[in-house]
Amino acid sequence: MRIQLFITCMIDSLFPQIGEAVFEVLSVAGVEIHFPTDQTCCGQPTYNAGYRDHVKNLAKRTIETLTRSDDPVVIPSGSCAVMIRKEFLELFREDPPWHQRAQALASRTYELSEFLVDVLGHTEYQASFGGRIAYHPSCHLLRGLGVETQPLDLLNQIRGADVLSLSPDCCGFGGVFAIDHAEISGEMMNRKLDAIENSGADVVVGADVSCLMQIEGGLRRRGSSIRCAHIAQIIAMKEPGLR
Amino acid sequence: MRRQFLKKAHKALTNPTLQKALDQNAERRESGRVRAFSTLPNAENTLKEAAQIRRKTIDNLAEYLAQFIKRAQENGIQVHGPLNAHAAALTAAEIAKENNARLIVKSKSMVSEEIELNHKLEAAGMRVVETDLGEFIVQLRGEAPGHIITPAIHLLREDVARTFTSKLNVPHSTDVAEMTKTARRVMRKDFLSAEVGISGVNFGVVETGTVCIVANEGNGRMVSTVPPVHIALMGVERLVPSLENLAVLLQVLPRSATGQNLTSYVSLIQRPRQGDEADGAEERHLILIDNGRLAMQHSQFQDALLCLRCGACLNACPVFREIGGHTYGSAYPGPIGSLVSPGLFGIKQYGHLSKASTLCGACTEVCPAGIDFTKMLLRTRGEYVRAAPQPAWLRVGMPLFTWMMSSPGRYRRVQSIAAFFLRFLPNRGGWLYRLPPPLSGWTRSRDFPPLAAEPFHARFHRLKSTGNGPSKVAEMVQETQTQENEPLQGDLIVRFQEELERVDGEFEQYSSDELPHKIADFLASIKVDQILGWGEQSPEFNSIANHLREAGIQIMEAAVPRSEDGNTRYETLAGLDQAPAGLTTCLAGLADTGTVILPSGAGLSSLTSLLPRTHLVLLRAKDIYPSLDHWIRAGGREAIASASQLTLITGPSRTADVEMILTLGVHGPERLVVFTLD
Repeated sequence: MRIQLFITCMIDSLFPQIGEAVFEVLSVAGVEIHFPTDQTCCGQPTYNAGYRDHVKNLAKRTIETLTRSDDPVVIPSGSCAVMIRKEFLELFREDPPWHQRAQALASRTYELSEFLVDVLGHTEYQASFGGRIAYHPSCHLLRGLGVETQPLDLLNQIRGADVLSLSPDCCGFGGVFAIDHAEISGEMMNRKLDAIENSGADVVVGADVSCLMQIEGGLRRRGSSIRCAHIAQIIAMKEPGLR
Repeated sequence: MRRQFLKKAHKALTNPTLQKALDQNAERRESGRVRAFSTLPNAENTLKEAAQIRRKTIDNLAEYLAQFIKRAQENGIQVHGPLNAHAAALTAAEIAKENNARLIVKSKSMVSEEIELNHKLEAAGMRVVETDLGEFIVQLRGEAPGHIITPAIHLLREDVARTFTSKLNVPHSTDVAEMTKTARRVMRKDFLSAEVGISGVNFGVVETGTVCIVANEGNGRMVSTVPPVHIALMGVERLVPSLENLAVLLQVLPRSATGQNLTSYVSLIQRPRQGDEADGAEERHLILIDNGRLAMQHSQFQDALLCLRCGACLNACPVFREIGGHTYGSAYPGPIGSLVSPGLFGIKQYGHLSKASTLCGACTEVCPAGIDFTKMLLRTRGEYVRAAPQPAWLRVGMPLFTWMMSSPGRYRRVQSIAAFFLRFLPNRGGWLYRLPPPLSGWTRSRDFPPLAAEPFHARFHRLKSTGNGPSKVAEMVQETQTQENEPLQGDLIVRFQEELERVDGEFEQYSSDELPHKIADFLASIKVDQILGWGEQSPEFNSIANHLREAGIQIMEAAVPRSEDGNTRYETLAGLDQAPAGLTTCLAGLADTGTVILPSGAGLSSLTSLLPRTHLVLLRAKDIYPSLDHWIRAGGREAIASASQLTLITGPSRTADVEMILTLGVHGPERLVVFTLD
C-alpha cells in the first residue's frame, strides 16, 4: 500500500525528529511512503483565529497537493487531521466544486494511530520501553475524530511499558489561545502537569504535537525531569523528549 | 470588552474560594450527569432523539410559534409578544402595575436576567423577591448569578452564612440545612402575600398550548399557583412540538442539568384558575421574548437556539472551571453564552468570548441538544474578526502567516532565517524561556522549542521506505441493537419504589383494608392531628378520610382565597400554612423516575402538596406506568389538556444551591410518602 504523508508544519519546522520516527513506524508497517514536497500548512492557525477568507487559498493549495494521487493521506496530528477532514468542509460549504474535492480528500485522510490500527489492522511493532507511560488523549483526536482506543492499543503492545491514560481534560493549548489567553491557558496546563507529576509517569505520550509542546514546555519550566514523546517516537524507541 | 474579560479572568484565577467552588461544581455535576444517564436504558438513542426534536423545532420555529400562541390563547392565557428586551420588561411592569402589585415573587428565569426585568420592576416601586435559594442569596448580596443552574456557585457556605447574618438578622450558622430553613421561613411570608408571581418557562408545548416549568425547590409551583396573577417569561425558541416530544426532553434536561432522572417538580400549566377550582393564578400572562432570536434563526448561528439551558456545557468546560460565570460579563456564561451573547447582544461587544475557548469539544460532547459548539464558536470567530478590530499582531500576523505558507519556497526561506535568529534568544536545555512580544504570553508559564536548523522536508530524501511488512484492512464491527420488552406490573412497582427511594421519597404498600389504619398510625407517629386534604374523591380516599376523622384528625380542605378576598387572603393562607402534613391522591405513578402526577381542580388544591412539611400520596398500583411517555399515550394527553394544571412530583423539595450540598424541604415538603394500594 502507498500513502501520502502530510507531516504538518509544526513537525516540519519544530520537531523534525518526530517526522523521522513517523517515517520509521510507517516503514515497519510495510507501507510505501510518498511525501509531497510542496506541502506547507493546512491553515488551522489562521482558520481557528477567525480569518476564514485568508485561509481559503491555503486550503485549496493543500487540497491540490494531496489530490494529485488517490492514495490515503496519513497525518501524525489529530488537530491537523480535524482541519482537513472536518473544517475544510465547513470552509467550502457554500462552494460546491471545492466542497466536493474537500469531501473526497476527507474520506481518505487518517490520523497516524487510526491508520495503523484501523486501516492496517496492526498494533505490534516490536517496541519496548522500561517505565510508565502516561497517555494524553488530546481533544481534537478524541472528540474531534473519535479516536479513543487506537493509541492505547498501540501503547499496550510495547514490551515492559506500564501504560496509563490521563483524564481527557484539555491541556490548555488551544493555538492562539495559549498566547492571547495566556494566564487561563497556563492554569489549565498546571492542572494537567499536576496530574502528570502525580501519576508517576516517566514519559507523556500523545498524538498531537501541539499539546505535547505545551506540556513539555510546562514540565521544563517546572524543572521536572519528565519528558514528552510523540506516539511514533515511543514506538520507534527514541529517547523521550520532543527534541 | 476583551480587556475587561482578561482582567476579570485574572481576578477569578487568583480567588481561592472561587477556584475551590468551581472545582467542586465541575467534578460533582459531571459525575452526576454520567450517573444519571447510566440509568437510561438506551441513552444514546434518547439523546439523538432529543437533538432531532430540537432541530425540528428550530427549523420550523415560525409555524410552531404561531400554533403555540393560538392554543395558549384558546386556553385563556394572555399572550404578549414576541417582544424585545425593553418592551418585554415594560409589559411585565405594566401588568404588575395594573394589579397594584407591591410585592412580586419570582422563580429562576435566565430570560428575566437577559431583559434586566428586576431593575424595571424596582424602578416602578415594586419589591421583587428572587425565591430560588441560589438567586435569593445573590440578590441579597447585590450580585449577578454565577451559573445558569447554580446561581451561587461562586460562594462557599461561610459567605452565605455571613450574608444571612448581616441581611436577614439571624444568628450566624454555617449549617446548610439551618440556612435553608431560614430562607424557607423568610420567603414563606412573601409567597403568601405577593400580588404577582413571575416565572420562566422551560417548554411551551405546541400541540396543547401547555406551559411547562421544571424546578426542584417548590418555588416555581408557589409563584405560579398562589399569587392571583402569574407572569411567565419565555424565549420564543423554548417550544416543543408534542407531549411525547416533551417526555423525551424531560428525560435529558434534568439529567444534563443536575444529574437527576427528573426534577422534584414539573408543572404543566394549561389555563388560569377556572370557576370552582381550588387554586392557580386567576390571570395568566405569557410574555414571549424575541430579542434577536427570530433573526438568529435565519443566520448561520441558528444552532445556538437549540439550547435547553441545562448548563452541562458550563460544567464540562475547562475554561469556565478556571474563570467562573461572572467573567463572561453576560447573563449567559460559559460555552453556550459565548454563542448566545454575540448572537443576541452583538458581535462587536461579545464576539471576543468565542476566543475564550481551546475548542476542546467537551461542551459538544455533553450537549443534549446536539449543538456542535466547535463549529459555532469558529463561525462566531469568523464574524468577530470581520466586525471588530483585532489586536495588531493577529491582524497583521495571521494574513502574513497564511501568505508565507501559500508558497513552499517562501515558507522555507522564512523558516531558515527565523531558525537562525531564534538561536540568539536565551535558552535552558535548548528550549527558549523568554520570547519577545507578542509571543511573550507563551513564555510566562512554559518554555518554547527553538526552530529546527534542519526541518523535516530537508531530511526526507535521506529516509528510505522498506515497503515490506504485514498489512490488512480491518473489518468493521456491526453493533447489534437490543430490544426492550414491555415490563410487568409487579416489576413496575419494584422499579417505582427503587426510583422513589433514590430521590429520598418513602414507599409503603398496603391492602385497602390496612391502609386507613397505617396512615392514621403514620400521622400519630409524627404527632400530627391536623392535615390539609382534598375534597370528595375516590371511595378509597373517602374511606381513609372518614377513618382519620374518626381517629381525631382534623382535615382542612385547602384552597387559595380569591383576590377579591383582599385582606383576609393572607390570613387564610397563613392559617393553612400551619398544617404539618397534607394528604392527596394522584393520577398516576411513573416507574422510571419514581414520580407521582397530581391533578388540580375543584377541591384539589396544590397547597396540600406544597405548604406542609410532609406530603402523603395515595397511589393505586395499577396506575403505575413505565414512563411519562407511556402515560401520555395511555390517556395522559387528555388529562393534561383538560386540567388547568398538573404537577409531576419526584421526591421531596430539594436544593443543592449552597456548595452543592443536598438539602430537602426548601419551599415544598421535606418528606414525601407514597402509600401504594395493592
